Amino acid sequence: MIDLLVLGAGLSGLVAALRAAEEGRRVKVIAKGMGAHHWNAGTIDVLGYLAGDEQPVEAPWTAMARLEDDHPYQLIERDAARAALTWFQTLTARCGLGYAGADGERNMLLPSPAGAWRPVFLAPAAQAGGEADAGRPMLIVGLEGMRDFYPHFIVRNLTAAGQPARAATLPWSVVSAARDRNSVQLAALLDEPAAQQRLVSALKLVAQPGERIGLPAILGLHRHTEVMAALQRELKCPVFEIPTLPPSVPGIRLTTALRHELERRGVRVEVGMEVIGFHAEGDAIQWVETATSARPLRHRAAAYLLATGGVLGGGFSSDPGGRFWETIFDLPLTVPQDRTQWFRPLFLDPQGQPAFRGGVSVDSSFQPVDADGRPVYANLWAAGGALAHADPILERSLEGIAIVTGVAAADAIVRERDFEGVRG
Amino acid sequence: MAPISWHSVDLSLDECIKCNICTSYCPVSAVTDLFPGPKYVGPQAQRFRDPDQATSPDHSVDYCSGCRVCNEVCPTGVKIAELNARARAEIVADKGLPLRNRLLGRNELLGKLGSFAPPLANFGLHNPLSRFLAEKVMRIAREAPLPTWSTTGTFRDWLKRTAKERRKSDKKVVYYHGCATMYYEPFIGKAAVAVMEHNGFEVIVPEQNCCGLPLLSNGEFGAARNYHRGNVGKLAGFARAGLPIVGTSTSCTLTLKEEAPELLDMDDESSVQLKMATWDIFEWLRELHEAGDLRTDFRTVDLKLPYHAPCQMRAHRIGKPALEIMALIPGLEIAESHARCCGIAGTYGYKVEKYQIAMDVGAELFDFVAAQGDGVTYSACDSETCRWQLEHGTDLPSRHPIEILAAAYGLYDLDRRDLILA
Repeated sequence: MIDLLVLGAGLSGLVAALRAAEEGRRVKVIAKGMGAHHWNAGTIDVLGYLAGDEQPVEAPWTAMARLEDDHPYQLIERDAARAALTWFQTLTARCGLGYAGADGERNMLLPSPAGAWRPVFLAPAAQAGGEADAGRPMLIVGLEGMRDFYPHFIVRNLTAAGQPARAATLPWSVVSAARDRNSVQLAALLDEPAAQQRLVSALKLVAQPGERIGLPAILGLHRHTEVMAALQRELKCPVFEIPTLPPSVPGIRLTTALRHELERRGVRVEVGMEVIGFHAEGDAIQWVETATSARPLRHRAAAYLLATGGVLGGGFSSDPGGRFWETIFDLPLTVPQDRTQWFRPLFLDPQGQPAFRGGVSVDSSFQPVDADGRPVYANLWAAGGALAHADPILERSLEGIAIVTGVAAADAIVRERDFEGVRG
Repeated sequence: MAPISWHSVDLSLDECIKCNICTSYCPVSAVTDLFPGPKYVGPQAQRFRDPDQATSPDHSVDYCSGCRVCNEVCPTGVKIAELNARARAEIVADKGLPLRNRLLGRNELLGKLGSFAPPLANFGLHNPLSRFLAEKVMRIAREAPLPTWSTTGTFRDWLKRTAKERRKSDKKVVYYHGCATMYYEPFIGKAAVAVMEHNGFEVIVPEQNCCGLPLLSNGEFGAARNYHRGNVGKLAGFARAGLPIVGTSTSCTLTLKEEAPELLDMDDESSVQLKMATWDIFEWLRELHEAGDLRTDFRTVDLKLPYHAPCQMRAHRIGKPALEIMALIPGLEIAESHARCCGIAGTYGYKVEKYQIAMDVGAELFDFVAAQGDGVTYSACDSETCRWQLEHGTDLPSRHPIEILAAAYGLYDLDRRDLILA
């Protein structure tokens, strides 16, 4: 039997699996499909906004004090949370995918694909180069006809926000001979040196001295580091990436790097396995079952970590009658069981939305608890987007919560669980 | 033509959140403009398919290879591959089927015909002139890795010949060999029987017919239904008697378990009994191992073995049982492929207009095998057409994991592909 079965292959699940594997635990990850970071920018947003506050957070660690007492960040010592992010940075650097931040205290402001500033704590090195700085003008370059990436639109918003920038558009054929490629396919094409050379030649025609060049995040899929190095070497100027709308190349790079690291540590990640049932005796989960082409498949472990995310990640489901439930263990949720209470009238209400704030309540060891605060199952933990009392969309805190709580839950499991005793 | 039902996929259509993860991982749309990707031909085009409408709105769905990578990665559980298979069947119902696809769907018939005179059939099929003609007339790619008929008799001939030597036991298991083992690769069946007997089982090989997958993937649902009915009639009785039905062809077992009943709406009691009793052989061996009943008297097998779990295996959603069992063999160093698909996808890569696409899709896997270095003598894969494609794309012989396991028990010669007689 394995020590830990992680349910979900998003950021919190992969990070927790790695953390437990580093501590020598035998770990397996199962997931219904690929994780939600395929949609996100690949940045680590720790805390970008506070409810009711229009201005972005400058210093997330200080601002955390203003979060409510039951927020996931309040369950962890601040030093432990910082250490978790440092560990993540070391880990990704070892995977060849360096993450950079401002100074360990402040958020950076990085351009979104709409040219709006996003408060980001850690970003892939390629995105960190796009930090707001009026002294360093930008040249935003797109491809003619590329979906959802419009340099002139980005530049209009950036200049309105005080960032000197100008736009250029290159012919589509610089990167691809074929039409209808999405960002991931374009990134794969740019893994090839010939395509990089064409891009460099075209960029030389439009770039001016003193500019840093911002491109859509398609600069290599599997050879990103080499592509970035080659471009900056040939162009002799800084180059940075702006995330695209989904699918997200930086998100896929991060998944791939973490999964390589897990494989190196002997952790299997099985995608395409949907949990359809479980069995508990007393307060202990005995197994979970996944759907197969015929009989359900049983997975047994000493400990289970719920890392299935929120509504979008598939961790929760809802019906028009107002029911809102956690999809695997039907854990108690803090979401109002009344449809009219899910959303406020304003879509972008500065207080956020109750449906997004709701989730699984946990104790200080990250074990899901019932209304009386008692653990629902003795061998179940939870982390990431499934946790209650946070609104990651409003707060821009999705990845920060995923990493910090993924690490904390894994540490709690490693600490509290006497695996040798369980193995008997 | 039997009606094509959409009930099981229509609901899953609504689960599509348009995230494009499927298109990002689709191995076919990555290499050709002829296939716009799973999201477009699947959940998106589906909105425009009307059961009462005579013509299908989108014919590019024919370039879907049916590898099911989209199903595997979809975060919300849309049955994209099943949508596409039904859409193709609608086009076939509407436009008819070229003779070539009709022929490629009937590998059991081809197997039988060739087995009357295998050397002649092999010469007839594999000489350059006939491959040239087949390409010109039938549009079957002349380079495509077609199999050769067994020249030492069929699998059933061997069973008859060795009937007296076969093990009798109270522990019984039913073996579904499929067409490829029957006519082209009887040695796979011999290895499987040897492994099961070595573990104390009597192997029952009942009458059976083609699982119907080639028909399903070519959109001939009516003929496929007849095949599946045949298998239900021949095999469900064993399921009712509580016997496991074990197969060495991952695509056949997937069809018996899920593809046929799902696509053909066969959810009668006997079909469900057959579905629930069918096992991939390594899935079954893994169960034996977990119960402590698998013999582990392995010899050292000093091989570095690149192993590719085929798409069809991943579509079972049972993990990679062959990998888990082979990991028990001392000396065996397995390199696990993460390539999405070998490209061949059953009969897809045989078609002249799709041959190059299949080779381009497979490049990821061929490169992985090449990257394992010079000391590699075999690759391994559970599916026959994938092994043929692997051999075609790498110039390295490929083996079924059951051959590796039989060799580890000292029962089988990997090079000669035959049992070692005690």
